[in-house]
Amino acid sequence: MSDAQIFDQGYRTYSGERTGLKGALRSLIVHSLRASLGLGRKARHKIVPVLTVAISYLPAIIILGIAVLFGGGAADDANYYSYYDNSISIAVILMVAFIVPQLLCTDRRTGLLGVYLASPLNRPTYLLGKAITSIILLLLVTLGPPLLILLGYSLQGVGPHGFGQWIETFIKIVASSLVLGLFLTAVGLAISATTDRWATATATIIGALIASTIVTEVLVTEAKLPPAIRLANLIGLPITLIHRIHNDVGEWSYTDNPTWSLWLGVVGWLCLTLGFVWARYRTLLVRR
Amino acid sequence: MSLVSARNISKNYGQFSALSDVSFDIEPGVTGLLGANGAGKTTMLGMIIGLHAPTSGSLQVLGQNPWTAGASVRERLGYAPEHHTLPPDMPAVDFVRHVAELHGLPRDEAAARSSDALWLVDLGEERFRPMGTMSTGQRQRVKLAQAIAHDPNLILLDEPTDGLDPVQRDLMLDLIKHVSTGIGINVILSSHLLDEVEKICDSVVIVGNGVTLATGKLDDLRDTGTTGVVMELEANQDQIDWVLNYFRHHGLTASAIARRITVEGADESVFDLARDACVAADIGIIRLGPRSLTLEDVFLEQLG
Repeated sequence: MSDAQIFDQGYRTYSGERTGLKGALRSLIVHSLRASLGLGRKARHKIVPVLTVAISYLPAIIILGIAVLFGGGAADDANYYSYYDNSISIAVILMVAFIVPQLLCTDRRTGLLGVYLASPLNRPTYLLGKAITSIILLLLVTLGPPLLILLGYSLQGVGPHGFGQWIETFIKIVASSLVLGLFLTAVGLAISATTDRWATATATIIGALIASTIVTEVLVTEAKLPPAIRLANLIGLPITLIHRIHNDVGEWSYTDNPTWSLWLGVVGWLCLTLGFVWARYRTLLVRR
Repeated sequence: MSLVSARNISKNYGQFSALSDVSFDIEPGVTGLLGANGAGKTTMLGMIIGLHAPTSGSLQVLGQNPWTAGASVRERLGYAPEHHTLPPDMPAVDFVRHVAELHGLPRDEAAARSSDALWLVDLGEERFRPMGTMSTGQRQRVKLAQAIAHDPNLILLDEPTDGLDPVQRDLMLDLIKHVSTGIGINVILSSHLLDEVEKICDSVVIVGNGVTLATGKLDDLRDTGTTGVVMELEANQDQIDWVLNYFRHHGLTASAIARRITVEGADESVFDLARDACVAADIGIIRLGPRSLTLEDVFLEQLG
């Protein structure tokens, strides 16, 4: 009689623990992050993420390089928040316009949404996972560079004075990044919820961000409408609020807009856009 | 215990009634969910998955209400959608692993089982190929693999043979049957193709116009209703007509398609009459046997 034994019978039953909703949400976020960053995909899918990250981090690296090589650098708070005015803004717009639409549009277009909703996820948890993914992606470009500068300056000995000030600066940076990430996630998801085609969503997001800036400034400066109109500026509003978080009035001609009105504007936009996303998905007929 | 138990379920969308007072039980095995387009199959599948709640009535899936206990029910369900447009640049094994993780499997287990599932559906060698490069038949098998990879108690397959040629279709049906009998995963097969349901299903739920037309074991459904005799004769048209009149003269309902005569009757005496008719007409009998209903007969009968 042979002693041979069959150890691998191919498909087997699974009797171990299941990770439930938490595991499903984690899997959704990890998968969405990988897909958005082009990990495990062809090189062309990596172009935008790499470009976006490069745009946001390169100036920070150069600034730190100069500080290390030639000394100096300022302990001024403006070193951190002013960073949002230029390179981070561009990186964030790229990220919101090119990557956030892929989070929602692709799932609807490929029918993957139906597969997700047949898992422990449901519509609210699916949207929560996508929103968390978007915020993580945006934090990559909004939080990383200023934190890098803060750490670099601190190591060079030109950072904030004392532990208390360092923590305060750190909290301001995190808060600023979260405000920008959350705000633009909500705007990006809302626009992406309107179409199955991510290219259309990308064009719409870019158009909305640019048009809102131009139109609101023209209305306030040329048509002499109230400054509150500027709360409809989808770039100026969160960037100015970031300046206020860092106790700066801001360079965006928002001097007539009190800080509380900016907070109100951001919260209003969040309610409006996230409410729209939920309304759209609540009634969305899931393609089979 | 039934896998799915529906009691007096109705589902309204505004003024439109998608399902009306539907009741059925789905037992272990392969169950066909049959109905024409717009019959209410989609609504029913959606409620079993927990995508929407019934307007009235009660629904239990794997012993739980899928609307209120959605996550724990769906964790033990597999689902293969009808459409073929899966993420085109994603390798099959990544997709299957991702779905297995979504259903609660730890990452290492999901990775191992996704390969096992793809080997099972005969895509082991192709598992690293992006799904966009696969044929329709291969994509259908990927969908089956992702539905079973996490070892669910019940899988819902929506038109799993859609777009397949006859050879691939038979392979797919054999695979589905194997998933049920070989692995022990119960299957609900939504289809409008009667012959494929008849080929592999143990039970059937027939829906039409938002109501349940028939439900039960396929053999039981085919045995209900009219019995009788089917005979195939070696005869010309005159002889066929003579035999038909013979049966009608004895108060039986008989009809003929070419040389095949069907006689309706509930007792054994029909066989004797059939034999006597052939002797009297001096014609040969090629085949004589009890009449069994096909699923198509049942379906058409229920539709009225």
